[in-house]
Amino acid sequence: MGGVEDEEPALKRMKLSSKGLVGLSNGSSSKESIVGLSSDLMARPLPSKGDEQVVGSKGVIKREEFVRIIAKALYSLGYRKSGAHLEEESGIPLHSPGVNLFMQQILDGNWDDSVATLHRIGLADESVVRSASFLILEQKFFEFLNGEKVMEALKTLRMEIAPLCINSSRIRELSSFIVSSNPQLDNAVRLRSRSKLLEELQKLLPPTVMIPEKRLEHLVEQALILQREACPFHNSLDKEMSLYLDHHCGKDQIPSRTLQILEAHDDEVWFVQFSHNGKYLASASNDQTAIIWEVGTNGRLSVKHRLSGHQKPVSSVSWSPNDQELLTCGVEESIRRWDVSTGKCLQIYEKPGAGLVSCTWFPCGKYILCGLNDKSICMWDLDGKEVDSWKGQKTLKISDLEITDCGEEILSICKANTVMLFNRETKDERFIEECQTITSFSLSKDNKFLLVNLLDQEIHLWNIESNPKIVGKYKGHKRARFIIRSCFGGLKQAFIASGSEDSQVYIWHRSSEELIEALPGHSGAVNCVSWNPANPHMLASASDDRTIRIWGLNCLHKKYQNVHSNGGGIHYCNGGT
Amino acid sequence: MDLDPRQYENLAINDNDIHKIVMSYLIHNCYKESVESFIACTGTKQRVDYLEDMDKRKRIFHFALEGNALKAIELTEQLAQDILENNKDLQFDLLSLHFVELVCSRKCTEALEFAQTKLSPFGKEHKYMEKLEDFMALLAYKEPEKSPMFHLLSLEYRQQVADSLNRAILAHLNLPSYTAMEKLIQQATIVRQCLSQEAGKDGPPPFSLKDFLKS
Repeated sequence: MGGVEDEEPALKRMKLSSKGLVGLSNGSSSKESIVGLSSDLMARPLPSKGDEQVVGSKGVIKREEFVRIIAKALYSLGYRKSGAHLEEESGIPLHSPGVNLFMQQILDGNWDDSVATLHRIGLADESVVRSASFLILEQKFFEFLNGEKVMEALKTLRMEIAPLCINSSRIRELSSFIVSSNPQLDNAVRLRSRSKLLEELQKLLPPTVMIPEKRLEHLVEQALILQREACPFHNSLDKEMSLYLDHHCGKDQIPSRTLQILEAHDDEVWFVQFSHNGKYLASASNDQTAIIWEVGTNGRLSVKHRLSGHQKPVSSVSWSPNDQELLTCGVEESIRRWDVSTGKCLQIYEKPGAGLVSCTWFPCGKYILCGLNDKSICMWDLDGKEVDSWKGQKTLKISDLEITDCGEEILSICKANTVMLFNRETKDERFIEECQTITSFSLSKDNKFLLVNLLDQEIHLWNIESNPKIVGKYKGHKRARFIIRSCFGGLKQAFIASGSEDSQVYIWHRSSEELIEALPGHSGAVNCVSWNPANPHMLASASDDRTIRIWGLNCLHKKYQNVHSNGGGIHYCNGGT
Repeated sequence: MDLDPRQYENLAINDNDIHKIVMSYLIHNCYKESVESFIACTGTKQRVDYLEDMDKRKRIFHFALEGNALKAIELTEQLAQDILENNKDLQFDLLSLHFVELVCSRKCTEALEFAQTKLSPFGKEHKYMEKLEDFMALLAYKEPEKSPMFHLLSLEYRQQVADSLNRAILAHLNLPSYTAMEKLIQQATIVRQCLSQEAGKDGPPPFSLKDFLKS
């Protein structure tokens, strides 16, 4: 094609058409593909056989492999005609004729021929040929035994299986099967079906020879899982991953909008906590009461019971493991146990001469643990009888108290900058030492991590599995004078939330330590936050402004979600439970 | 441990005791002619009945050693019904010897039948399971001598079984199952072991009969 300049457009067209041809021609086997195409696109012989024939924009997918796994997927979905048609149309056979013959021989039980075909398929690795032969001959052996042809089975074992010289322990087993006492029963169990045998052989042979089952499904699942793992704000329970779009949770999955303001306390609210089943919220206040709120089916909370009786401010609450009872702690006073459904006070726990400062339930629900202002920790049964106590510098006047789910380790702040993990049984003590005063801590659901709030406005995440070490630090919130609490939350506890003295609720992404949200709304310091364990889209915050705010998803950002309105007032939506 | 040689000199050993030790060895191993000639040379007194059963024992022992387990079993039962009944381990070992014989003579069908009828009942008890599997595995090989279980076909194994049988018969006849000679050497070895364990590095080396006899 000399004299190029004038003919450039034509050249370009020719280049395009030859690209189109690459996909059509495929070596020897296509018989009919070219009929019906216009003459300028008539195939010329392929430029060179060494060219990779690829599909996809990145050029990493080989056409032949792609078509073969699609054909395999069609067959396993049951679309045999489509599968056969694809093989024909593309000219790319799923299996070579030798492999097809081999598969048929296996299914027909044509053992000796199948072993012969196996040798002719052209496998490079001798040991694979031997292992595959072993499997086939084993099947022959078991089918003989099952048909009570003991001598034939023995002959197969001696003449064909043992000479392979592999897997002598299996040969041992096979010999013992011949002699075993109850042949009928044992063999029925041992004999696998021929299609199962084919599956086993498929796993043994290299994937280029026999495509593994469900390969296409596996690749797609891999992609979906990677998308999910790469999703930074993944916080959706039921969201089905679709193949149509890449999965990507945005910040719209994090609660960021006040859905409800709960005004029922007469003074600062110091503590909130959702029950384990997420159906209730308990709040504790400087007004000497605690309130149990019920989470309605529409996601709105309402007062269930107001728990009065303490003569001192209530500093914290603790839900029983089955959520049927609640402990409330009056500051340096007593602990009261309440029934959640009736709101009645079941028991008051006091210790003469000392004030109780913290409380928590035992995982079995039969005992309670309390911290006292004389720095000791006490264990009581539900009737108030003291069962055990640990004296000495075990806890401080202001300290959280937690126990691991197995009931083994008790955690409390024993010194200004140290959290002690005390093993009840072995009496071992482990310590987490910080360089700053610790104000509060929170244990993760899997008991492997501890979130520690420090005086200097940092929150540290410790891994407490063997030797405690810091694995995360979160900053941005404000703390100057008061106790501020933080918590784990969201799907798989992937987020950290905290209160702050600047009246905002702070939310960080746990693994990347990135600050995701600082939510304004309260008009006083936010003392405590609690993330609903059953609903990753619901967060509660307690503030000095005497209110509790319930935070949920900001539906305006969601394009595909229906918004329910409630006739004026606050619009809310439920995030799809 | 180098003891003062004078300590040895001060200890006198009675000749009669030595004779007993030698006799016990000869009787255990059924060396009938040697026993008779030793009695003649030394004038040691010996009970007559020791000698009677020695012939029978000798025959049984040799049949077992050759691998003719069925004959050995037959004669043992003639001698005393309950020796094998009370000693299942021994019974199993002898039957397995026969099985091995059949396998070595390449009589596969017979071997299989024998195993199914006589040996597999033992398989119900857990302690025989592994041994049974070892023997069964021999069936899988055209050339059992080349299989992983070739040691079951060896003379050493037959010797082991024959020895056990011999001991069982001796026990039945109220004779000692182990010769005095064996027991003495075992004693010396173990005492040495204990001493070296307690003394640690400075203790005496393990007992070696060869070295001891040279010293």
